[in-house]
Amino acid sequence: MNIVVCMKQVPDAPSIRIDRQRMTVIREGVDSIINPLDYVALEAALDLSKREGGNVTVITMGPPQSEEALREALAVGADRSVLLTDPAFAGSDTLATSHVLARAISRLDPFPDLVLCGTQTIDSDTGHVGPQIAEELDLPQVGGVNEIHLEDNSLVVKRLSDGFLDTIKVDLPALLTVTHGLCPVRDIPLGALEIAFSREDVVTWGADDLKLNKEEVGFEGSVSRVWKLRPPPPKRKGELVTGSPQTLLDSLIRKLEALSVLDEEDVRRE
Amino acid sequence: MKKMSGENRDFDGVWVLGDYRNYFQNRVTLQLISKGKALAQKLNTKVSVIVLGEQVHQYAMEYVAHGADVIIVAEHPELREYQVETYTALLARWVEDFKPEVFLAGATSFGRELFPRLAKRLQTGLSADCVALDVDSETGLLVQTTPAFGGELLADVVTPNRQPQMATVHPGVFHERPHDPEAVGRIIYPELDVLPEERVRLLRSRRQQTRSINLEDAQVVVVGGRGLGSKEQFGLLFELAELLEGEVGATRPAILPEWAEEDRLLGQTGKSVKPKLLISIGTSGALQYTTGIQGAETIIAINRDPNAPIFKMADLGLVGDATILLPMLLEALRKRL
Ligand SMILES: Cc1cc2nc3c(=O)[nH]c(=O)nc-3n(C[C@H](O)[C@H](O)[C@H](O)COP(=O)(O)OP(=O)(O)OC[C@H]3O[C@@H](n4cnc5c(N)ncnc54)[C@H](O)[C@@H]3O)c2cc1C
Ligand SMILES: Nc1ncnc2c1ncn2[C@@H]1O[C@H](COP(=O)(O)O)[C@@H](O)[C@H]1O
Repeated sequence: MNIVVCMKQVPDAPSIRIDRQRMTVIREGVDSIINPLDYVALEAALDLSKREGGNVTVITMGPPQSEEALREALAVGADRSVLLTDPAFAGSDTLATSHVLARAISRLDPFPDLVLCGTQTIDSDTGHVGPQIAEELDLPQVGGVNEIHLEDNSLVVKRLSDGFLDTIKVDLPALLTVTHGLCPVRDIPLGALEIAFSREDVVTWGADDLKLNKEEVGFEGSVSRVWKLRPPPPKRKGELVTGSPQTLLDSLIRKLEALSVLDEEDVRRE
Repeated sequence: MKKMSGENRDFDGVWVLGDYRNYFQNRVTLQLISKGKALAQKLNTKVSVIVLGEQVHQYAMEYVAHGADVIIVAEHPELREYQVETYTALLARWVEDFKPEVFLAGATSFGRELFPRLAKRLQTGLSADCVALDVDSETGLLVQTTPAFGGELLADVVTPNRQPQMATVHPGVFHERPHDPEAVGRIIYPELDVLPEERVRLLRSRRQQTRSINLEDAQVVVVGGRGLGSKEQFGLLFELAELLEGEVGATRPAILPEWAEEDRLLGQTGKSVKPKLLISIGTSGALQYTTGIQGAETIIAINRDPNAPIFKMADLGLVGDATILLPMLLEALRKRL
């Protein structure tokens, strides 16, 4: 079974800082990681291909530095990787992003049996890209998958959706978006990263390679526009109490009483 | 108000997806009808709810009672189960026929799976998990406010040149209108042509056992996170909840080692709560979690790290070791009973 995993390199959440004067994101000194759920997708793909045979191809669209994410995936065991990078791709919304990814996937030979995405990314957090790739490639989709079994030429998958535990049979080729609990994520074996970085097997495709016009991708190919960025409404400004456990307990009890969660009467009677 | 000019003139009406499957737990459709009505007023148009299913008349009536002007119903055995591909095909055709200018859905699991596919088929824009919606008075465009950069900023997004302007909306941010049995609305059954999806088959679907966990309606919620360190420590929360007549919630890292059932998960991938009091213990305050607790009237946080982000949204923050404080609190509360 040949599997494609769509991975995105995202800023590591704790290191994001905002320039509140200019309302922009400070890009310097931000660590990048592979989107956590994409890592789950990768592990699931490797697990499936180990059992069923076939190749795992990882694919990412992003600035040239996204190659790091691909190298990391190669270190963990992916067979092939494709970097989709082009200045023309910058500023893509999810419609344009899914267009580029779908086009690239459709040019893989052979066409994959299975495409895996994360259910959502931690930076743009839309969860749109997976279903939109499926739509463009006319693949059936199942979202939020946390269990996968192969049966004949179909997959039987499980997922939790709005309080229902669904068991779904889906024909291949298909696209799944995966979520927590599907597969444990392993640490990268020592030395494997170095080897992966010395290999030269990251294929790079730009807009021309994918026969995409500038008008279909990037900012020009996007239909959503960000009008403005603004700070969220002010957070609660609460009181912070430090001190001995007894001090903390006293202020906690006082607060519970003030909120009438506890009855003051009870205490006096004691 | 002036309507948009040019190519957009043909599009008219605010649509809401009738997501009735969890009618009794998740009232997001009712919330969207109410918000949709406010938007429709500004756009000088009507709010319609689109209901797809097998026997959905009762929901149609309910949506009218909650303020919908029009209900557009598709009843067909193939529509009984929520199914992304079948629903997409039908909705895309109806959008082309009826040409709504706005189409909203709740950011439920299903809404977040269906709407991206539909938006792609219609080649229009979509915002995810919006926390505010408005109509811009100059352009008549739908302003879709969505959290950006891990919630550090809010982004106002518009779809200037495509219709309909689509958004999924976070449950709980808008308020439903009261049930009005006298309300009148039109229910229409347009012609149907349902294409069954052969490639995806639902073999089984069972409602997760909820064991009467009713976090959404609880007045007091105590939440534990990774900081509690063990299943035993986490277990103390159940006693605390009982003493305070509340419910127990959990963050993702407390669910993974099975300190608590998945049903207790709060946050973006879990439930949203709106209790009078929420006590958050040993949680750092990641945005994916705090989106689920924003509706709490009062938040008390316990964390040993004075810089934990959770303190930024707490009304009372206690800096200390929860594993020491929690047994002391239980002791004190037991004494009072
Ligand atoms: C796509 C995606 C979706 C997600 N959805 C959700 C979601 O819906 N809900 C959710 O909860 N998470 C979700 N997460 C995970 C989320 O990002 C955080 O990782 C999670 O909320 C952190 O949980 P926590 O606060 O319990 O753990 P941590 O972040 O590890 O925080 C533990 C805290 O406990 C404190 N602590 C440690 N020991 C003690 C002690 N003895 N006494 C007092 N304090 C102590 C520490 O200082 C720390 O602040 C999601 C993540 C992703 C990527
Ligand atoms: N630029 C990208 N390159 C590769 N895969 C992506 C990209 N953006 C999104 N994806 C995939 O789509 C999923 C959902 O992303 P999003 O719609 O941004 O939440 C991710 O988990 C990835 O699997």
